[in-house]
Amino acid sequence: MASRWRAFVLPLLLLAALEWTARTVNAGSDAIAPPSLAAVAFWGALRDGSLWSATLFTLRAAAAGLALGALLGIAGGIVLGLSRRAAAAGFLSIELLRPVPSVALIPIAMLVFGFGLSLEVSVVAFATFWPLLVLSQAAARQVEPGLLEVAAALELGALERTLKIVLPAMLPRLLVALRLGVAIALVVAVTVEIAANPHGMGYAMMIAQQSLDPALMLAWLAWIGVVGYALNAGATWLQQRLARRMGEVPR
Amino acid sequence: MTLTSTSLPLLRLDGVSIHLGGREILSPTTLDVARGEFVCIIGPSGCGKTTLLRAAAGFVAPQGGTVLRSGRPVTGPSREAAFVFQDYGRALLPWRTVEGNVALALEAAKVPAAERPARIAKVLATVGLGAHAGKFPAQLSGGMQQRVQIARCLAQEPALMLMDEPFGALDAMTREGLQDEVARLVRETGLTVLFVTHDLEEAIYLGDRVIALRANPGPGRPSVARVADVRIERPRDQLATKEHPEFLRLRRELYGDLGHGHG
Repeated sequence: MASRWRAFVLPLLLLAALEWTARTVNAGSDAIAPPSLAAVAFWGALRDGSLWSATLFTLRAAAAGLALGALLGIAGGIVLGLSRRAAAAGFLSIELLRPVPSVALIPIAMLVFGFGLSLEVSVVAFATFWPLLVLSQAAARQVEPGLLEVAAALELGALERTLKIVLPAMLPRLLVALRLGVAIALVVAVTVEIAANPHGMGYAMMIAQQSLDPALMLAWLAWIGVVGYALNAGATWLQQRLARRMGEVPR
Repeated sequence: MTLTSTSLPLLRLDGVSIHLGGREILSPTTLDVARGEFVCIIGPSGCGKTTLLRAAAGFVAPQGGTVLRSGRPVTGPSREAAFVFQDYGRALLPWRTVEGNVALALEAAKVPAAERPARIAKVLATVGLGAHAGKFPAQLSGGMQQRVQIARCLAQEPALMLMDEPFGALDAMTREGLQDEVARLVRETGLTVLFVTHDLEEAIYLGDRVIALRANPGPGRPSVARVADVRIERPRDQLATKEHPEFLRLRRELYGDLGHGHG
């Protein structure tokens, strides 16, 4: 039990140090604020409802973008992973498009979609599509060939084979890829809001910065961290639960 | 004599030859398996016995000759022929229970969901797994996992069972138990079996006929080295059959074909 609490020592010390420096050396700074004032600002955002509306917007955009990117990425990855011909045909296009930084797409996406949810969803989908494509291609390639022969021996059709053999066999690796996708989706969604989209947590943080309110800015930063932590914890929990349901013997 | 569907061999390999990567794996081989027959194929490793079985299943397309099942050319795998893989660990779906693995064969055959539980219970009882329906493969021993695979193959109600060294990875006790069980199943259901093994005694014990293949076939060295009929009455017994004079004679006759005795 003592070791569990030991993990909290360092963050608490850092918070205390920040409180101290913000109140003494850097008093009146426009960049940092004491955590105690950030907590007050957080309470204010919680009470006026801006916290929830911005958080919901960002989460909705990240989820929709991830869903789109994952759906296309996994479907493409299965095709590329199972068919050597498709992999050879798609290789060059993928290697050329994949390194394009997703935020570099913001200007085009802005022209196409204007400001709003679609802008953010499209950029998040682009950003999550590539890692999910590449990781599910690898996962599909590693599906036990014996299982594919069982599918062939039972004369399963392409759809049944995908749903009953390939996808479940890929699932453990897919869940790891999806966890990575969750993290990328949140980062990219907030980035789009900071750079362009006038909605969500990233935009709220920008507004706080521009109105010289470091306490509120710090509150948003901490809150984004908490949301990211909660998302990752949720994804990990889901991953373990599914693994157990899929017959993995607990160790 | 008229040619009816019953007098047609269930499986016919007609001059089947297979090359893989420029090497001759199987020289032209002709072989008939009659309905209800239990044919064992033995040979040293690398003689192409598994390749022959895979060609019979439709997993491999031969370069020469044809494979016929009930007189029709085989173009690919079919539910009519069940394949029991040696490596049960790679042939079972680890995310499905014993019951779920058997159900896969019924789902593939589009058996209505309402009929499935009864049929699953029946085949699981046949292989002695009735009490383990809800377990996952990882919770079972190797012998039990292989029973699950056999149960799944029985559930698809095949005309032909192709078995690729199914007991090769099991310990001697489990192996003998499963041999007797497969022999009983075949007796009760009239299944036709093509059974590949590298164990000569297993081949004679189970087979109506034993076909010995030789390694490195080529011109003047056909793949089939010897064909021996096993005229030992059934049901057979692990002790008495293996002391039967005919068993010992066949064992001596076929021993050299497994690559022994060539110095």
